[in-house]
Formats: sequence, C-alpha cells, structure tokens
Amino acid sequence: MSKDSQMRAAINQKLIEMGERERLKELLRAKLVECGWKDQLKAHCKDVIKEKGLEHVTVEDLVTDVTPKGRALVPDSVKKELLQRIRAFLAQHATL
Amino acid sequence: PCVDRLLLSDLCDVKMDGLAQDILSDLVEDACLGLCFEVHRAVKQGYFFLDDTDQESMRDFEIVDQPGLDVFGQVYNQWKNKECVCPNCSRSIAASRFAPHLEKCLGMGRNSSRIANRRIVTGNNTNNKSESDQEDNDDVNDNDWSYGAEKKGDVVMLLYFFNLFVVTLNIRLYQMKFTIT
Repeated sequence: MSKDSQMRAAINQKLIEMGERERLKELLRAKLVECGWKDQLKAHCKDVIKEKGLEHVTVEDLVTDVTPKGRALVPDSVKKELLQRIRAFLAQHATL
Repeated sequence: PCVDRLLLSDLCDVKMDGLAQDILSDLVEDACLGLCFEVHRAVKQGYFFLDDTDQESMRDFEIVDQPGLDVFGQVYNQWKNKECVCPNCSRSIAASRFAPHLEKCLGMGRNSSRIANRRIVTGNNTNNKSESDQEDNDDVNDNDWSYGAEKKGDVVMLLYFFNLFVVTLNIRLYQMKFTIT
C-alpha cells in the first residue's frame, strides 16, 4: 500500500472509531431533509415505481435510477458545510 | 527551499481536499442508498402511496374524539354490564364474571380441579342447585383473577415444603460433620 492510501485508510478508520462518520452522516441526512432533497427524490422514485410497476420494482431499479440524480441534486450549501466539517476533522487528526 | 516548502503544503492541501471530497461522496452515496431502501420497503409493505389518498377517504379515517367512543368510533364499555349465557350450564352470568365461571364450569382452569376436589371432600352438604353466590365466593378466592387474595392451602403447602427443605439441609450438614472429623 502506498503511503497515500495508507494515510487514507488510517483517517477513514479514525473517522469511524471516533464516531465522527456517524455524526456526519446524521448531519447530512438532516440537511438533505431540510432543503427538500428527500421529497424531491421521493417524487422521482414515484415515477420509477409507476414505470416498473409496484409489484416488480427492485432495489436495484431504484438505486441505478435514483443515485446519480441524488448526487446531482445535493445543494452546494450543504456540500460546503459538510466539506468544512470534514476538513476540520482532517486538520486535527491527519498526520503526515 | 522556500518555494519547495510552499509547494509541499499546497500539495498537502490538495490532497486533503481530494480526501474530503471522497469522504463526502461516500456520505452522499450512503444517503442515497438509505433513501432507496426506505422507499423500497415502503413499496413492498404497501404504505408508500399512503399520503396520496383522496380527501374523501381521508375523512372516513379521521380520528374520533367523542365521549364514550374510542379513536375508531367504537363504543368501548358496552359489554361491561351485559349478561352472557354459559354454553355449558345454560346459566346467565355477568360479563365480568364470565371467564372465571367458564373455567370452573368446563373444568379447564388452573384451580378448577382443586376446587372440584374440595367440593367432593366437604361432601354433599351443599346442593347442586346452589345459587351463583356460592360460586362467586370461590371466584373471589381464586388467585388468577384477583390480586392479594391468598388461599390458605397454598400457604400450608409452602410451609410444608420449606420445612422439608430445612430438615434435609440439616441432615446433610450433620452427615458432613461426620465425614470431616
């Protein structure tokens, strides 16, 4: 493993061990609900379901259709805020 | 040398930014997946389109808030004072006494055999056609349906077994004494 990927792995581990990843996850979820992202995406899901049929829709159908749209719909403000927090964590706990 | 150091720190920042972006990307993916699972479950469990119900139907299911009715609009103390006819002995029993009566009547409850035995032991002094009062007395002494009422018999049994246990213990201790010395 290169030094780079070693460091990445170490940081990811720290993120999880310190509970920060869980906190970030919750923060993101809350922000996404607040800004209406969840409702938007849910409405899109309805279209997918109506298309594939209620009985036959699978998780894969939803994932392949929803994930790219979900990524694109995240507002910049939410992204900025999360990035700020992540960078703060890295500044504190990343050793070179 | 100064230039080198600057470039190094810039590179680190770039690296950090890249890492931060990747972490964010993972988190967003988690959020999307979470939503997909949530939606999929709602679809399969049948409640996904629940909030699309038309106004008319929504009014049918509105919460009821009237005295004497529960939230579904059903009367809930309607059966309190009713009388039921026992299918076994054809007597008319009050609803709240019906379950204990049925136990005794069918001979299927926890204490029904004990009470039946007791009746046999105390002989045929009591008429078969006794009033429901007598049976109600038994019911009051029944542990299953009332709290705090203790049967004398139960306490005697308990004391007997406890005594037995103590005696056995003493015998064992006595035996041990012999083997040690």
